[in-house]
Amino acid sequence: MLKSKTFVKKTRSGGVVKIVREHYLRDDIWCGSEICSECKPETTALQRDARIESSLCTYPHYLIPDTNVVLHQQIDVLEDPIIRNVIILQTVLQEVRHRSAPIYKRVKDMLHEKDKHFYTFTNEHHETFIEREPGESANDRNDRAIRVAAKWYSEHLKTFKSISDGLEVVLLTNDQGNKQKAKEIGLQVFKDEYIKSLIANPELLDRLALTNDEKNEISRKVLFPEHLPLSKIQVGIKAGTFLQGTYRASRDNYLEGTVFVHGEGEESTEVLIQGLTNLNRAVHQDVVAVQLLPQDKWVAPSSIVLQDEGTAKDDAGDEEDEDKKPTGKVVGIIKRSWRPFCGMLNVSQIKESTRHLFTPADRRIPRIRIETRQASTLAGQRIMVAIDGWPKDSRYPNGHFVRSLGGAGEKETEEEVLLLEHDVPHQAFSQSVLSFLPKMPWSITPEDVAKREDLRHLTVCSVDPPGCTDIDDALHCRELENGNLEVGVHIADVSHFIRPGNALDQEAANRGTTVYLCGKRIDMVPELLSSNLCSLRSNVELAFSCIWEMNHNAEIVKTRFTKSIINSKASLTYAEAQMRIDDTTMNDDITKSLRGLNKLAKILKRQRIENALTLSSLEVRFHIDSETHDPIDLQTKELETNSMVEEFMLLANISVAQKIYDEFPECALLRKHPAPPPSNYDILIKAARSNQNVEIHTDSAKALADSLDVARVDNFPYFNTLLRILATRCMMQAVYFCSGMDSDFHHYGLASPIYTHFTSPIRYSDIIVHRLLAVAIGADSTYSDLMDKHKQSALCNNLNYRHKMAQYAQRASVAFHTQLFFKSRGVLNEEGFVLFVRKNAIIVLIPKFGLEGTVFFENKDKTGPNLVYDEEGPTLTVLQRTFHIFDKVKVTISLDASNIQHQKIRMALLEPMIPGVSVPAEDLEPLSKKSKIDR
Amino acid sequence: MATVQVSEAEKVYILHGIRDDLRVDGRGCEDYRHMEIETDVVSNTDGSAKVTLGHTAVLVGVKAEIGKPRPMLPDEGYLEFFVDCSANATPEFEGRGGEELGTELSNTLYKVFNNKNSVNLKSLCILKGEHCWVLYVDVLLLQCDGNLYDAISIAIKAALFNTKIPKVHISSDDEGSKEIELSDDPYDCMRLNVENVPCIVTLCKVGHRHVVDASLQEKACSVASLLIAVTQKGTVTCLRKVGGGSLDPESVFEMTETGKRVGKALHAPLMNLLQQEEKLGKTRQKVGFLG
Repeated sequence: MLKSKTFVKKTRSGGVVKIVREHYLRDDIWCGSEICSECKPETTALQRDARIESSLCTYPHYLIPDTNVVLHQQIDVLEDPIIRNVIILQTVLQEVRHRSAPIYKRVKDMLHEKDKHFYTFTNEHHETFIEREPGESANDRNDRAIRVAAKWYSEHLKTFKSISDGLEVVLLTNDQGNKQKAKEIGLQVFKDEYIKSLIANPELLDRLALTNDEKNEISRKVLFPEHLPLSKIQVGIKAGTFLQGTYRASRDNYLEGTVFVHGEGEESTEVLIQGLTNLNRAVHQDVVAVQLLPQDKWVAPSSIVLQDEGTAKDDAGDEEDEDKKPTGKVVGIIKRSWRPFCGMLNVSQIKESTRHLFTPADRRIPRIRIETRQASTLAGQRIMVAIDGWPKDSRYPNGHFVRSLGGAGEKETEEEVLLLEHDVPHQAFSQSVLSFLPKMPWSITPEDVAKREDLRHLTVCSVDPPGCTDIDDALHCRELENGNLEVGVHIADVSHFIRPGNALDQEAANRGTTVYLCGKRIDMVPELLSSNLCSLRSNVELAFSCIWEMNHNAEIVKTRFTKSIINSKASLTYAEAQMRIDDTTMNDDITKSLRGLNKLAKILKRQRIENALTLSSLEVRFHIDSETHDPIDLQTKELETNSMVEEFMLLANISVAQKIYDEFPECALLRKHPAPPPSNYDILIKAARSNQNVEIHTDSAKALADSLDVARVDNFPYFNTLLRILATRCMMQAVYFCSGMDSDFHHYGLASPIYTHFTSPIRYSDIIVHRLLAVAIGADSTYSDLMDKHKQSALCNNLNYRHKMAQYAQRASVAFHTQLFFKSRGVLNEEGFVLFVRKNAIIVLIPKFGLEGTVFFENKDKTGPNLVYDEEGPTLTVLQRTFHIFDKVKVTISLDASNIQHQKIRMALLEPMIPGVSVPAEDLEPLSKKSKIDR
Repeated sequence: MATVQVSEAEKVYILHGIRDDLRVDGRGCEDYRHMEIETDVVSNTDGSAKVTLGHTAVLVGVKAEIGKPRPMLPDEGYLEFFVDCSANATPEFEGRGGEELGTELSNTLYKVFNNKNSVNLKSLCILKGEHCWVLYVDVLLLQCDGNLYDAISIAIKAALFNTKIPKVHISSDDEGSKEIELSDDPYDCMRLNVENVPCIVTLCKVGHRHVVDASLQEKACSVASLLIAVTQKGTVTCLRKVGGGSLDPESVFEMTETGKRVGKALHAPLMNLLQQEEKLGKTRQKVGFLG
């Protein structure tokens, strides 16, 4: 049957158009219930025996939630495994999709889950379709459609009374009016009381979102000004009276934040927001509209640290005249970016109270008020809480409990928190993603053989760290008849398995990279690919090869790229490879190949260092063994073979970068490392000069490298390393970018004019590079997104973001394991060096553990000792004792577990002995930070 | 326009018949042929009507769009006319054959309808000098069997009656910039007052008498005809002579009188019919083109 839907719409140019859509009703839309003999669906989702233990509904029943129930956070309840046999009406689904994409996705996931027995009833194309009546709002119409569909269900099920065992449908709503109307037409309808009636699972109640309609706090003081409606905000932004930007809360001061406003072109400004009222319920990362205050009310950001203890007054910190910044107030929220937050419960002082405050792990997120009856169980656990809303009369936002992650301090829990807080996607791969994996047992097909170059006869071997499961690169070297050497780098051909655009590809693009934590790996692609099919173990595998012809001076005569089939003859560790090279008695093919490679690598490395700067040696890495928690200093164990592999990987990356850039100047995915601005080096120059009277030249990368090389001080062997660590800190982040969107390609750290990532297909960037290269050599076909520089650029942004977060997660993981280590060791006394000097503290590096910590000289309880900070040094003088950068000190290290959510390493000064200072102080700031250049 | 060849003898026969108030098809001189009206036939217009008069069939659609008022009349909206002479109507319209007629028709319609005495143009104003509704009246000739003007005018009146213009609200902010906001309820719309919308009565001078709703043969016998736009109350709003022949003032006066009488008699049942159809609402069975 044909119906038509008519509506009027405003066009962008201001006109008004009438739109008529055809709408067909079908007679083959089934109810989806097992008991129904009238409908003929292929499968039934709704069970015959649909029992949820509820004291209100003792009969079996199907639930029909209305839109508000799904939308307003009750989704957390619906997601619970005990809620089964739910009918999601199309009306509801459409409205949810329209209003909130994340919730829509969650509903879709539930619908796909077989065990949940959720069923979509397409009521809009069923005879229960209704047209909007005159004078009826869209919402009323939808509510009516839901009631009509529910009514139809209840009548429909009644026709099978004899076998249905009293089966009913139950409409869930949270609107009193809707409930009333549903009652009138004889439906079973409940509000929150239904969830309360689930006797077997009282904890579900906590997941109910707090609704303000029936709360009895009518006459409370209004704390915040009203947010402006979106239409007014848009007009204001257009007129220039308001600015739109992303709100970033300050880590140190809960009453302060900045709004980052993207200006036109390069112009971007930061607007300071101070004070509770001016912040006006903005939460970190929200997109907000701000209004600038008159210039005489502008203030400087306060330098004090303020943590919300719940008692502090709304003061704006101390005001200095200098350094005033544009200051404003938040007038409206354009887009909330609320997600479930990790944190812990502050159990209320009042016994029996169900309202508690929740403190998120991220200090930039305000505390959240939640209601729970299981406070005693949740205390001491890491939990997740979602914000439901922030009424203007409430000091804190209201939220509800989502789930518990486990006990605080436990390894699994903390790892989970770490991943969640760093936005690392770590869920198991979905069925749709897994469906794109090749079917096992997989083998090379004759077509593969026909299309690829057969390199199985070559003596290819892989060299990796011990215990590595994802071997993605292999090498070979052989002498050619003309006397030159042929060197090949073979990379696992992941792009053969991950085809553009499918679910697997999208998931990988979203994850961006594989994240390594201490003792844990978060895969970008399912393990079957990363550790099995795309691992070049000692057997026949598909590879993407980059093959050079070189003379004995390591000058490249010819470069070519090909998709190939290789047969790895050996998988060696660095040490094994080193032994073969050193052992003069061994003369097999593999060893010869390795020796050739090593010889060339040495030449390449020398050239690279000679020609420009290499910062690779600046990379000081410390690893904590996950089993024993003993720190391993990798630096000391570096072998020639390490740099041998590295050298060829660099060469392959550079060759590939050049090739894809030549072929696709507009859309090559490259990696650059911008040169740091000269001011970044100030601290390095000052430190070197003031401490050991060493001059560091930073005019160019080469000058820096040279002066670092000569900066050695007798009887202070660690000085050079310290300098290099400091220099590393001056560097910029390396980033991916699309060649069509940028003009500066230079990679400062590697001193290469062009660079990309090709050699590690467990990163998504490499997959894109593989695809580009495959197109360039005619081995694969292209697709539109690959050639679209804007899409490419957007992808780069995501990759950079994921990369950064992965690094942070890695550091946090190391920090956590460091804490575990110190927890088991107790208090330790160690020697260290001053790495930075701050106004009220020094940052100390303990070389033995690669651990960095802060020693505070100020204390918020007592007045601190007399501190004199000299910016020129920079030095800090504490009671006549002056600290320079690189000074040797002795500290005591212990774990401060007083705040279980933010456990930290506490350091206190032992030597030099300063009376009244060298006593462990309280409430130190964390903690070890490791930084390395990500090439 | 469609032409019919009439022989001398036929002509005499027709002339004599008309003299005795007896026309070839049996009608009297002031009788219309069988007429059918249906409104709301095209769903993506804001108002539409189809009229058949004998074998003449026209379809009129009204689309309302937001435009800028004419500078001289800042507080009035206006109507635009376009007549499409489809080649389906008659073979003469093939190619560009219908263009001339189309222009002539739309010019006449513009004169008859686009004035504040016919349609309350002030009600089409949204914001003085800034925005107004422009009603695009598109006329499609489906079949030509004489008396196009009358059929078109009736169809236009019916379509305007049927027109539903979405209600808009002007919101203004402190800066004085104004924005048009649309109601979210599709039923929330404005109707036009068609009380004063005239209908055209075409009178054909045949011999010494004149007839309304001339058939093609009668038309062939006529030297000149007079278009009279008459409102419900009998006011003549427009008068236009078409055709090559001349009319003496005496007969112009007579014809005007007839036109007023016929026009008044035409309006009453037309309005009645439109209102009845409107009342049926959704229960109305749509006939459409095939009914």
